[in-house]
Amino acid sequence: MANSPEEIKKATTSYLIVCGILFLGTVLTVLVATLPALDIGRHGFDMWDCVLGLLIASVKASLVAYVFMHLNHEKKAIYWIFGSGIVFVICLGALTALAYSDPLHDPFFK
Amino acid sequence: MEIPYIVTPRKDTGLFNSKIAIWLFLASEVMLFGGFFSAYVFLRIGADYPWPERTLPVLPGLINTFVLIGSSVTVVFAWASLKLRQWRRFQIFMGITVACAAIFMVLKGIEYNVKLHHQAVRLKDYTVIEGHLGYEKEDGVEVKDYKGHKIEENQILIEASKLTFSTVRFHKPWVESLMGQAAHHNAEITLTEDIKAITEIGGKEEVIAKAGDKLSPGLLSRIQKAHLAARKSNSVHRTAALREEWKIAKNDSPELKGWQLAGAVSVDPAALAPKLISEISTVGFTVNPPVEFMFRPRDVQEGATQSRLRDDTVIEGKLLESPMIFHHVDAIDFQHLAMKAEQKGIDPISAIDASWLVQNSPFAREAWEWHKGEVAKLEAELLKDYGTDKKGNPKREPTHKDRYRIGWKELVKKVESEGRPKLSGTASLAEEFVGPNYAARGDETFPHFSVPREQIGFASKFTPSWNTYYAIYFTMTGLHGLHVIGGAIVLGYYLFCGKKMYLANPEWLANRVEVGGLFWHFVDLVWIFVFPVLYLM
Repeated sequence: MANSPEEIKKATTSYLIVCGILFLGTVLTVLVATLPALDIGRHGFDMWDCVLGLLIASVKASLVAYVFMHLNHEKKAIYWIFGSGIVFVICLGALTALAYSDPLHDPFFK
Repeated sequence: MEIPYIVTPRKDTGLFNSKIAIWLFLASEVMLFGGFFSAYVFLRIGADYPWPERTLPVLPGLINTFVLIGSSVTVVFAWASLKLRQWRRFQIFMGITVACAAIFMVLKGIEYNVKLHHQAVRLKDYTVIEGHLGYEKEDGVEVKDYKGHKIEENQILIEASKLTFSTVRFHKPWVESLMGQAAHHNAEITLTEDIKAITEIGGKEEVIAKAGDKLSPGLLSRIQKAHLAARKSNSVHRTAALREEWKIAKNDSPELKGWQLAGAVSVDPAALAPKLISEISTVGFTVNPPVEFMFRPRDVQEGATQSRLRDDTVIEGKLLESPMIFHHVDAIDFQHLAMKAEQKGIDPISAIDASWLVQNSPFAREAWEWHKGEVAKLEAELLKDYGTDKKGNPKREPTHKDRYRIGWKELVKKVESEGRPKLSGTASLAEEFVGPNYAARGDETFPHFSVPREQIGFASKFTPSWNTYYAIYFTMTGLHGLHVIGGAIVLGYYLFCGKKMYLANPEWLANRVEVGGLFWHFVDLVWIFVFPVLYLM
């Protein structure tokens, strides 16, 4: 982590750059969702809008974690702690995806 | 006592303790919000109604995203200022961060307020009407209920001649409301007949309340007291008698087990009767002359001749026409109706044409016909722009929402296409925050409409009870909002109370701000996902 005055001064530039990227990413998310010209896949909301929206959000979240939360140069213990939470969420997401194989999800029952 | 490792790092972890603690906390927070996102996906996949996609106003959400991202930068600058020992600069950046939190919560408050005052009703044929209700008026003045609140024109009206209260469950404010309504109509609510009761064991029956006594919470409380005392005394004697019978049965047949004896054990009512005193579980009152009472729909289960309040008060009398009156209808949604029709193999357009609303409201009929034309135009545009696939089917088609929902913007477009002047840019922008401007747009855009009670399937404001979308929306944004408030309090504490700590040990304050900042970044990180998921998908 930046600790010396020189390092901190240098890091502030990267904070501003990331801020700009986050603003742009937000605008892009909205444009992709609302402008027909940027709509991919079917007309209106569909799987591709979902994938693209979440992809942009993931990039933005990664930048926040990596730069603002200083995960770009942290101690090993922090990666283990935060990583365990992320693994849990991924497992939960996988369980959600597995719900598709539940027989109750069969369209016959709709 | 000195707390170790709050400034210098521990040798084994290389970190100061509070940093380890905040990351453990953030890991648990990741799991908490991960659980909610997972629940969102489940609810959306399993929804048995058309999911209200892209239903929230994007602009407030977008501004809030900018505000939170901006505050993430200022909080990290505040930390950097402390590291550089620049107190004044720290104050400025931390002040901006706390101000951003306040802006975020104000915008969120506006958004919630709009939702909590926006009414929706699903008719029995699954048509959904949205808008704002009017308020009950008398001589041009808005009437207030017993709590002093304005009364929405969504009341159940019953011309009651008799009221029967449960002496155990009666709700005092409702009793007072009934008394007030009766007095307003110059009517009296009086006890129908004498309440006679034996109040002592072996005593004689006596009158504890006389026919003609006026209804009051005090009278009901007096009867309730007598009833509860009787119930307590009687239960003691009933239990004692049963225990005695049980002993006898057990002595007579010691070889039998309890469950085998159960059928043979019974208390002789005639023998027990002298030991019992009178229980008065209900008490009847006459309304003279019969009065038109108003009840909130959630408080009453209405019937043609007999209705029941949630506190078990039975109201005998004729159910009157009790329509739900929209002063402004701002959306008509046939998506659910169309979905149900498709499930039954019925053409959705025919089903909508035959729906109660289209059949009974000239406004709805006209709007629906206009909307069908708009959908046809959109189909033609998409076909022109994107063409067809190999099978000859259009590559892009209007969505279910495009086809079957007439939102407020469509209603505005319709009247503007008919020549009604447009609103100014500022007024239109304000609509993006707080919804349609009924006063400026006028009744021809958002008309009055009366929904007969018998047509109503379910009605609610846009609260968690309306559907699972709003349930998860309020849960996730509410929890996130609490995090914003909590974070702002902590950061505000550093801002306003941190000077002493800064003078004593600036590195300690810098570490604490770093920890608070990490939490703040996490709050931003969660919103980065909440915004697209709830507002744009």
